[in-house]
Amino acid sequence: MCVDRWFLIASTLLAAVAGVRGLLILRHGNKSHWTVWWMVGVLLGQMGYLAARGEMRGACPLRSIAEISIFLAWSLTVFYLFVGPVYRISLLGVFTAPVVVIFQGLALLPGGLDYIPERVIRTTFWGETHSAMSVLAYGALALAAVAGVMFLVLDRQLKEQHLKGGLFRNLPPVRELLVSLERLLWLGMILLTVGIVAGILMPHETAGAWKHVFVAVGVWGSYVALMVVKRVRGITGRKFALGAVALFVLSLGVFAFV
Amino acid sequence: MELICLGLNHKTAPVEVRERFAVGNTKLGEASQNLLEMVGAPEGVVVSTCNRTEFYLAADSAPAAMKQLEHCLAEKVHGHEEPFYRYEKAEAARHLCKVVSGLDSMLLGETEIFGQVKQAYKAAHAAGTTGPILNKLFQKVFSVGKKVRTQTSIQEGSTSIGNVAVELAEKIFGHLKDSEVMVLGAGAMSRLTAQALVSRGAKSVIVANRTHDRAIELANEMNGRAVRFDDWLEVLKDVDVVISSTGAPYTIINKDEVESVRRVRKFRPLFLIDIAVPRDIDHSVGEIEEVYLYDIDALEQMADEARSRRLKQIIECEKIIEAELAKLMT
Repeated sequence: MCVDRWFLIASTLLAAVAGVRGLLILRHGNKSHWTVWWMVGVLLGQMGYLAARGEMRGACPLRSIAEISIFLAWSLTVFYLFVGPVYRISLLGVFTAPVVVIFQGLALLPGGLDYIPERVIRTTFWGETHSAMSVLAYGALALAAVAGVMFLVLDRQLKEQHLKGGLFRNLPPVRELLVSLERLLWLGMILLTVGIVAGILMPHETAGAWKHVFVAVGVWGSYVALMVVKRVRGITGRKFALGAVALFVLSLGVFAFV
Repeated sequence: MELICLGLNHKTAPVEVRERFAVGNTKLGEASQNLLEMVGAPEGVVVSTCNRTEFYLAADSAPAAMKQLEHCLAEKVHGHEEPFYRYEKAEAARHLCKVVSGLDSMLLGETEIFGQVKQAYKAAHAAGTTGPILNKLFQKVFSVGKKVRTQTSIQEGSTSIGNVAVELAEKIFGHLKDSEVMVLGAGAMSRLTAQALVSRGAKSVIVANRTHDRAIELANEMNGRAVRFDDWLEVLKDVDVVISSTGAPYTIINKDEVESVRRVRKFRPLFLIDIAVPRDIDHSVGEIEEVYLYDIDALEQMADEARSRRLKQIIECEKIIEAELAKLMT
């Protein structure tokens, strides 16, 4: 087995440990103080994978759905490590780890990653910028969706007055979750804007490439609409969080046109 | 050298007796020095809070020191029933561990006592009234107190309606420094709940009451402002928390009224605390997405649950104390 895959397996296992351990500790009413370090381990594994895979490709490894999925997991982990500990959003790691496992697990399924990837002969600046910025944007939008799920869980507990247990005690306050959600969406949108501009400027050799850009513009427009409604008219936390989660899930469809 | 503790607290003495023994924070060191002079013991610490005053001594003979101390304090309890409890040797150390852990407090598991005992010890230490016995004892007791609080749930959850309201408000808004509170009705319950929110940093308090003078009185007490009762809906546009406790026989806040200000509020979260009986807020208001509505039963239930959770933790706390005391005694 190639070294890139070993790094990926190790990283996925670490993410699984981070999630499962965090949940088990949460069941006992406490929060794990080690999740962030497990996630640092996840990131190191991902970096090892990206370095090895990039060497094999001779370019940024973003040429297949599996590679994009892993890059997305990397981006999600990076944003978590920037946002979670800095803004002290407790449990963000416990909620992020399973998403990382899903993205990387999907890439590890048989038929996902080529054992010997095709080397990239020619790269363009705009093409590489488009790929990297778009996937980084998706990392931020994925983390926003994670924060959205956390909000929905807490909102439900508060509405139904189910206020027992470690999950309720350790989730961050409603307002902090909504603020983080909004900041992450803004960050994701800025990165996505750069990605889309680069996507328009990059050379398009097939009609499918344009479809991909059009779908990306559609995704961008949907996020803009959500943010404009939030800013101008206002929106309930529940609808805002649901919007962020639903848009992220739907927007993954953009990769069908890669 | 033997350890003794003589004290009185909320369980053994009424406030008119406790106040005779109370020592201000700035006088704790001096009180410890006086204690040594009174009894003639080499080491002593006076612990004094609003609910207790306790005298800890390390003396050559525990019975003799106890007798001398009782004799000196007898005058202060003249005309009242005997208010003191007494502990010697390991029992005294065990008692101090329980005190520091909040197990002997009026509000089981409260955390303030830890700091108060620490302050008393520091004052005595600075006044030169502690020595090897009490230094070792208090250092050990503080580590036991920390262990009890970190390894059990003795301090978790709020046990009063006011604190439950604060806990929920913080779960919704985080720090309360950006949160505005409106109080409907200037009764005792709303006053207590509002005070709890203000003590945790709530930005401002707006009071509306049918008798406007009482609204002004309460607002002044909390550095807030009063508004006419008929204007509460206008104020609702800006506030984050509403505490309602009027004596009205019908609901004051209805769904239509809250719906009418949702757009202006930009659908921001709104925490409604209804502590009135009969209720002031129609239960259908809680169906509005961004509204978190809690009535007195819900708050009381949460406080009860926290109290019973804390009670269940006592055995765990005592196990930790026993294990640590065993180490201290060896």
